[in-house]
Amino acid sequence: MLGRKSRIDKTLVAFISPALVFYLLFIIVPTVGSLYYSFTSWDGINPNVNFIGLANYKEIVTSARFGNALKNTVVLTVFISLFENAIALALAILVDRVFKLKNLFRSLFYIPVLISGIVSGFIWKVMYNYSFGVINAMLKSAGLEALMQDWLGNTHLTLIMIGIVLVWKGAGYYMIIYLASLQSISSDILEAAEIDGASAWHKFTKITLPLISGAFTINFTLSLINGLKVFDQINVMTDGGPGFTSETLVYLLYKVGFNEGRQGFGTAVGVVLLVIILVLNTLQQKFLRKREVQV
Amino acid sequence: MKKAIALLLMASIVLMSSFAGGSQEDVVAADSSATTVTFVFADGDAGAKESINEIVNRFNSSHEGMRVEIQPGNGGNYTEFVRTKDSVGEFPDVVEMRGEAAMYIRAGKLAPLPAELTDLFLSPMVIDGNVYTVALAGENTNGIIYNKAYFDEHGLTEPQSYDEFIELCQTIEDLGDMDPLVVGGGDLWHLGFLFNKCWDDQVISLDPDFIAHCYSGEKDFSDPSVKAAIEELVQIMAYAQTGWASTPDAQITTFLVNDMAAMMYSGTHMFTQILSADPDFELGWFAIPSPDGKVRLVGGSGISGLAVSTECQSDPAKWEVAIEFLKFFYAPENYGIYCDTLSAIPATKDAPVSNGLPVLQEVITATGEADSLSPMWNSKSGINELPPDFRNFTYKTAVEVLLGQRTIDSACEELNKTWAVAASSFNPVTGQGIN
Repeated sequence: MLGRKSRIDKTLVAFISPALVFYLLFIIVPTVGSLYYSFTSWDGINPNVNFIGLANYKEIVTSARFGNALKNTVVLTVFISLFENAIALALAILVDRVFKLKNLFRSLFYIPVLISGIVSGFIWKVMYNYSFGVINAMLKSAGLEALMQDWLGNTHLTLIMIGIVLVWKGAGYYMIIYLASLQSISSDILEAAEIDGASAWHKFTKITLPLISGAFTINFTLSLINGLKVFDQINVMTDGGPGFTSETLVYLLYKVGFNEGRQGFGTAVGVVLLVIILVLNTLQQKFLRKREVQV
Repeated sequence: MKKAIALLLMASIVLMSSFAGGSQEDVVAADSSATTVTFVFADGDAGAKESINEIVNRFNSSHEGMRVEIQPGNGGNYTEFVRTKDSVGEFPDVVEMRGEAAMYIRAGKLAPLPAELTDLFLSPMVIDGNVYTVALAGENTNGIIYNKAYFDEHGLTEPQSYDEFIELCQTIEDLGDMDPLVVGGGDLWHLGFLFNKCWDDQVISLDPDFIAHCYSGEKDFSDPSVKAAIEELVQIMAYAQTGWASTPDAQITTFLVNDMAAMMYSGTHMFTQILSADPDFELGWFAIPSPDGKVRLVGGSGISGLAVSTECQSDPAKWEVAIEFLKFFYAPENYGIYCDTLSAIPATKDAPVSNGLPVLQEVITATGEADSLSPMWNSKSGINELPPDFRNFTYKTAVEVLLGQRTIDSACEELNKTWAVAASSFNPVTGQGIN
């Protein structure tokens, strides 16, 4: 018995080891290395690395800049999670109910997903431009000059404008997941409910929504993680500005670590971000898993 | 049939491989006869790319046994590009350094340059008794570049004092044809031009070693002179176009040549860009006098410029090529290409004869007559060198004030807090983080 178990273990190890080596080498070792650098004042260039204990973490706790980046990250993540999923679900229901040209609509809504984050950022940056952008041009030609805005320069609007781009780009992806889930609901259940006199609203809230709760869990988890690590669009559209208005945790990490010569502090921000993602994801999983229904 | 196709494919592959091998050998043969040094520069500006490529081509064709190989940066974030090169062990032999030069010098990456080269320059930046970088040009002198035709049409004249400048802005605003000033505040470094002017006017005019005194704890950013600098910035920025906070530097030329703004505050590199966009544009230039009546301009040599790596220095053959190349680059007949293309002010003693614009001559004259000429506040070295992350933080905090997100007092408090953290790990006065 023991011999058999030992043979199975060796086989398992043989299969797992190639992936494990890569995982250890490219994920675990750098992560542990990052942990070390987060206790230093390394500038990213100088081979001499000074150990400064918890100074970086102390700065994180007291720094208004970190607090601002955390607030921006939360606002953007909540905005994306809610609107991306709401729009994706609406699109999925629409596409599910369309009988003709279903594939065409599915492809049309999915196209923004295929555009890279950088490119989508550039496209919308041009559209948002105060003096030359299409949005203000349309408002002007419609006689609504009072509504013209510096969309990316107005500190009250910047984060929302970035959020809109992210929702536009991401909703199609989540739509596909919702659509697959919707199409897996047996028509028998819906027909039975209809015979029992259930209204369309009741069928949606009491049958459809509970049965696609698995897709909710996946989509909310993905949009949460994506929201927490938004980078491309901020980099292209605002560079974290104006001022610190659109600086998120990931962007702060990048700016201080790679642009401002504070790799040690940037790494400490990265470690804190990792902890935040782990905690939020665990909480979210626990909450959403409870609501899932199996048929 | 299948066999025939397979044979044909195999034959093609064998044939192509042999050609490929042959050509590779040729290249290797050509390269192996020459000592090659790698060269990296900020190629985001088309003029810089074109002119430096031309000088490198001239060098390669005139120096047998020596070769300079440009490694293109493709116009991205140059600081990151150099840093990436360094981190993957490909730090170039000859490299253009920006404000972060001091950091690379402290890391032991840059070699002290020999006197045969540094003696060619008017005022090379000396650090600890050595010169590590030779300026590509004199510091980019900023001033107001304006639409001369519009000024003439409305009888507007160049201001002789700071108050007259503010009056001029107000007059243009009242005329209502266009914005008085276009500012590319979407790029922080562009906003830095105006910030530096206000900083020089209010802070450096009173204490040239203000930053050193902050390091030593004698002064801080709640100093009235710092508040006055931000107030001056707020006063000038009141005349910037709507949308300045999201306008990139690359777009400001469009405002000027399309009669959307009458003036911009920028460096001489803009002359060529403006005339490329509109060859008939009538350029005017003047310096904005300081509120105390003096004229303070950005000029002289800063820490930015071309440098040679210590790794290159350790190989005598490569070192010889690198130094020979730099001497060739700054020879008047070659250096003139760069200066003319970028409307740059020469940094060498034996300056090239300029075929440049008359307006550039005005700038050169103004720098000669200015009451003070100094590098940008973030291009200084020694006891006045800024902590690595402080420049951008200051600009961003200034933007917050300009957009009404915080008061000047709270901005000064934030600057003090960030300074305290920054100076605890980097302080050239006490030596902390330097050695």
